[in-house]
Amino acid sequence: MHAQRKMRKPDIKMVILGDMNVGKTSLLHRYTERSFKDTLSTVGGAFFLKQWGPYNISIWDTAGREQFHGLGSMYCRGAAAVILTYDVTSWQSLVQLEERFLSLTDSANGDCIFAIVGNKADLTDACARDVAPKAVRLEEGDESDHLECPTPPHTPTVHKQVMREDALALYNRIIHSKVLEKRTSPPAEDVCFETSAKTGYNVDTLFETLFELLLPSIICTQTQVESPTVCLEDYEEMKKKKPVCCT
Amino acid sequence: MDRIETTDASLDPDPSQTGFAIPNDTPPSESHADHHAEDVCPEDPSPDRYPDTQRAGTASENAAEAQARVLDADVQKEEAVEFTEPVCPDMSESDSGKVSGDCALTDSGQDNSGEFVVALLTRAKLEEQGVGTEGTPSPLSEDGIPVRASPHREEDISGESWRQHRKHVFVLSEAGKPIYSRYGSEEALSSTMGVMMALVSFVQSGDNVIRSVYSDEHTVVFMQQGPLVLVSVSSSRQSEQQLRDELLYVYNQIVSMLTQASITRIFENKKNYDLRRLLAGSEKILDGLLDLVDSDPSFLLSAVHCLPVASSFRDALGHILQKSITPNLVFSILIAKNQLLTIVQERTVLGDARLNAADLHLLLNLVGASSAFQAGEIWTPICLPGFNPDCYFYAYISYLDPPECTVCLLLLSTDKEAFYAVAECKRKIEEAMQAQNALSAIAKAQFYSVSQVGVSDLRHFMYKPFDVPDNHRQLTQFTSPEMEAPYSNAEERTRLLDLYRDMHSRVHSSSRPLKLIYHVAERETLLAWVTGKFELYTCFSPLVTKACAINAITKLLRWVKKEEERLFIRYPPKYTTTPNPSKSSRAGKGGAQMDAADNGFLPLP
Repeated sequence: MHAQRKMRKPDIKMVILGDMNVGKTSLLHRYTERSFKDTLSTVGGAFFLKQWGPYNISIWDTAGREQFHGLGSMYCRGAAAVILTYDVTSWQSLVQLEERFLSLTDSANGDCIFAIVGNKADLTDACARDVAPKAVRLEEGDESDHLECPTPPHTPTVHKQVMREDALALYNRIIHSKVLEKRTSPPAEDVCFETSAKTGYNVDTLFETLFELLLPSIICTQTQVESPTVCLEDYEEMKKKKPVCCT
Repeated sequence: MDRIETTDASLDPDPSQTGFAIPNDTPPSESHADHHAEDVCPEDPSPDRYPDTQRAGTASENAAEAQARVLDADVQKEEAVEFTEPVCPDMSESDSGKVSGDCALTDSGQDNSGEFVVALLTRAKLEEQGVGTEGTPSPLSEDGIPVRASPHREEDISGESWRQHRKHVFVLSEAGKPIYSRYGSEEALSSTMGVMMALVSFVQSGDNVIRSVYSDEHTVVFMQQGPLVLVSVSSSRQSEQQLRDELLYVYNQIVSMLTQASITRIFENKKNYDLRRLLAGSEKILDGLLDLVDSDPSFLLSAVHCLPVASSFRDALGHILQKSITPNLVFSILIAKNQLLTIVQERTVLGDARLNAADLHLLLNLVGASSAFQAGEIWTPICLPGFNPDCYFYAYISYLDPPECTVCLLLLSTDKEAFYAVAECKRKIEEAMQAQNALSAIAKAQFYSVSQVGVSDLRHFMYKPFDVPDNHRQLTQFTSPEMEAPYSNAEERTRLLDLYRDMHSRVHSSSRPLKLIYHVAERETLLAWVTGKFELYTCFSPLVTKACAINAITKLLRWVKKEEERLFIRYPPKYTTTPNPSKSSRAGKGGAQMDAADNGFLPLP
């Protein structure tokens, strides 16, 4: 680890919201630790700093429990991206996003990017079940591959309660209700995902896509708080690493 | 030295304490009613822990009292008949047959009441067998609470194994809605809990408070705290007071998550609110607490166990914490191997207030239960009921040695928004500790072996001093060596703890408190001694003589005195984070302790 890590200053903030037991912590665990394990119910919120190339991205993994609902807006304050997570096998979890969690995002940035993520896809879609090795390969390939990852074919094993169309519709409603400009916010197809933290299906795609989308804002915030000194290390790293996503 | 009580080589606690060794032909008399009034006090929801008034008691009085404790048995017996009809309309002959098999019967009214409860509980269970467990939606599932996947939760409550659990704990609302059960799902137990609530409110309607019910195998203890009712059904032979204290821990853990004020408010607004909506996901925290309560003597002694380290090292750590502060930070706590390493607190705002041992236990339990994802930094509201049951602190929890995760830093702030500032304190602490190579020194810190004391025949002890300087401002602490052979497996450890619990209950018995107990048990000899300066429990090999044991204790006390600096936190350091209290908008208007934590509640539905 480089010396600069000591003064880790987050460049941008991301928040994961969603009902309890939809797999928020597992998604993040899959992405950062590359593994899946049983997690305990999150208390309050957990803060993670992810190094993505030269950038530090802070991710708040929040508790889905109603008990901690009051903290939600605190976690969301100044967030540049919000990941709204539901469970594809639970219609209720999608409903909760609109009823309970959407209002929390009022304190996020005005140009906040929303992503709608249906987790536990491995339970309903055969393709999501043993996709892990493929996901790793994808990650090493170039970005265009990520975005073109096909939606899994529908061969349900557990009854799928939430279809991708429902998520797309929710996204469009959010964009509409937040009066975000359709022009500047990414199209629904790009930011609605079905993932599986258990197999790793689509998890990297989710985070990497969002990071790519956030890049303009990151650069923007960096120039805003431009300090008189130039960090050479950052510059060098940027040069070397910019096109490649982190591993 | 007050009294030396010698018992024969029996492991059984004094039968007069378990409350069922009452002559069969003793009819409830006037004198019982007197005791009844003393024990069943309608106006007093929080019984004194260790009443100062030491009532002189004789064995017979003790027994009479035990009987009286089971309420006006006569009344209950009468009412039981009336009562049974509406609650359980279809009780069959075979049911009652099963019931009487459960509980050895005598003619005494007390046992009848025991039977009464067991009967009702059994019946409720039989009912559920037919209804609750077969997927029929219970009236409780309407709130859409997801089914939790925990082995304890899925346990079949009609099975024999469910009944065999040593200690059940139930929490319900005044409306009879289940909130928590240690084993089995709350839905399946809803009618059992309904019966419990029926018992509570029935006694309440007679302007009385039900406190406990004794049967020959189980002690059922009831405790009402605001709108919540807690029930412990235990076959552990612990004293009623001990079980009550444990229930209080459970209640306080719930308060630590929700605050007392919001619990009260919720139930004022909606009497039949399903509190599980707010506690969903926290069952593991309560499960963990109850497991700790059963295995860790800190809870019994209401004291904290410190990791023994050289006092200079502890001071150095305290100094690091003292220097890494930010406004509104009030407590900095360092924990290693689940034991307290050091604690530093704010001076101006907190004043003489201190963290009490029970609150620290709740905190430690929370840390243990939230360690699933140890790479992150956790920020969560937490209420410390002993400090102020109505307000939240904000706790920053982070491990300093990932991935081992044995050294944990806990920073408590009164400012909800202070996460980034507090996280910065952690970086400072981390750096300073790195500079001093503190982590490796912490890793080397060891619990000690009883052999280090150098007293032969001494197998184990627990020493809780009261004479720490400044003790009114001090965290209550105790010290104890590791449990070694023959107490190296879980079963033997439990056995020793049970013996300690028995000694503890006799020392603190409200009817006949003892200062010194010498107890010759089957496989060991125990000596408990309580003075104004300390409380001591020792365990010797069975062949020790009384003189020898007393001699050993003198040596032990000398050793503890010598090692005091290493075993206890002697002078907890303090810092000032708000040099000008009025500067902070959130904390410390005028520096009163209530203001320190007064930063509102989480908005609740």
